[in-house]
Amino acid sequence: MTATTWTVAVAVAIFAVGAIGVLTRRNPLIMFMAAEMMWNAAALAFVAFARQHHALSGQVMAFLIIATAAAEVGIGLALIVSVYHRRHRLNIDEISRLKG
Amino acid sequence: MVYLLPKILVAGGALMSLLATLGLPRWRNGAFWVALVLLLAAGVDAAVLWQAEGNLSLLVAGSMIADPFSSLVDLLVVAAGVSSLLLSWNGDRYGPEFPALVAVAVLGMMMVAEAGNLIWLFLGVEVLSLPLYVLAASERTALGGEAGLKYLLLGAFSSGILLFGMALLYGATGTTLFVRYPNLPLGTGFGLYGVGFLLVLVGLGFKVAMVPFHMWVPDVYEGSPTPVTNLMAFGTKVGAAAAILRLVAYGFYPQAQWWSPLIGYLAVLTMIVGNLLALPQRDLKRLLAYSGIGHAGFLLVGIAAHNFLGSMAAVFYLVPYGLAAIGAFALIRLVEGNGEGVQLDDLEGLAYAHPWAAALFIVVMLSLAGIPLTAGFIGKFYLLQAALVANQTGLAVGLVVGTLVGLAAYLRPLQRMFARSRSERVQAFRWSWAGGAVLVVAACGTLFLGVYPSPMMHIVDQSANFFWLR
Repeated sequence: MTATTWTVAVAVAIFAVGAIGVLTRRNPLIMFMAAEMMWNAAALAFVAFARQHHALSGQVMAFLIIATAAAEVGIGLALIVSVYHRRHRLNIDEISRLKG
Repeated sequence: MVYLLPKILVAGGALMSLLATLGLPRWRNGAFWVALVLLLAAGVDAAVLWQAEGNLSLLVAGSMIADPFSSLVDLLVVAAGVSSLLLSWNGDRYGPEFPALVAVAVLGMMMVAEAGNLIWLFLGVEVLSLPLYVLAASERTALGGEAGLKYLLLGAFSSGILLFGMALLYGATGTTLFVRYPNLPLGTGFGLYGVGFLLVLVGLGFKVAMVPFHMWVPDVYEGSPTPVTNLMAFGTKVGAAAAILRLVAYGFYPQAQWWSPLIGYLAVLTMIVGNLLALPQRDLKRLLAYSGIGHAGFLLVGIAAHNFLGSMAAVFYLVPYGLAAIGAFALIRLVEGNGEGVQLDDLEGLAYAHPWAAALFIVVMLSLAGIPLTAGFIGKFYLLQAALVANQTGLAVGLVVGTLVGLAAYLRPLQRMFARSRSERVQAFRWSWAGGAVLVVAACGTLFLGVYPSPMMHIVDQSANFFWLR
């Protein structure tokens, strides 16, 4: 197995952990963190493939993923904090006035 | 540079409107006017560019594509942004940054449509989503916060899937320029390529509200303020459909024999599930959310047909759907007044108390249902034609069944309007010039397109051709 394969295998593992985290955890903060893990797994895969193909666009993409993730965290934490202020509990199953 | 002018105007609209909230705090609607004027200027410029000589060019080595398709999508998303601004007019409760965020979201939708590169596509998807997370929660109610939170979590999750799919596609092809994918020989990397394609399709399926990735739509639509729901229903749908058209119908057309059946099954499932679930809804916004899911299925029919007629019909269908959606949300905005949300029972007696509003609403709802003489019928007719030309009878049958189920769902609110009693909301009904203008324009446009569709067909005919890129 080449270095690319190993790195991509790690990226797939991180992606799977993130996806399972979003689907099973019930705390929005943890779910959000797990979703960010999926993003970072993609960034890792991009860097690995960029090295394999000797092309820079994958590394550009990795930087853009980091920048966008930072913007998303800014908005996400603000939203989660504002929801927490209203009810002082964080459990996605209790935040369910909308359903039907 | 000249081809980027609509985007520059919209980005300028966002920045200037932010400045106006700082510099002109006394002039309450200053930020709204600035954003509205610059969005309208961007729309005019997109219309000029649409017919401009040489409007077929690749910018930044093909990462951005200037062609009539981008210009047409620019026009549609500007219409979505302008209608949202008008519906939120005098809406102090949405906060001063509302128009700036709408302009940023519109910019993201434009970026998605012009993308020829996975990097630009991803940035567009995020520029479109991030302001919408804030906008969904912009009304400080429990429902608004819940809608924003759900949208954020599902949005981050779907973007993660989209990104990982893009990473695998990059690994298989060695380039992020998806306009070059049709010319690439598919070697041993086919497994990587196929999985990457599926993940990207799932990620975009969340954005376009395709079944089984639709569960966030009703909650987010119901909890968000009505002007924001309007932007999501029309703008996000247009952006995501444009991305799927350019990426799937062009970037992957050599592999059409294996993605076409897949999208076909998903389209039939989306049409039938979306319209079936619209039947029992009591909240008008939720009903429109499920109708939006059903209409995502209709759009996918055009893509699954994978011929020129199909992409033409899918692009055309965006116009009747968008007109009908903004008309319906304008009526919700008029009926809800200072409250939030409209139940079907709140419409009781509207037909006798305000016959004009009721008549215009009937036109847009019949267009959603696909009754002849409205634009929705023409759109569904072209989709049916595309499915039959592609020899996909299953798609055509699914389309007809979905339409029939949808008809029952759309007739329920109309039936409530003719009740003899009058609800409190109808007694408090007040026309506002902005909401009224949106409703009148949407209903007139729907009727015009339904009676005389050939100018729009000509425009779509010129726009839906992606194969000049080869």
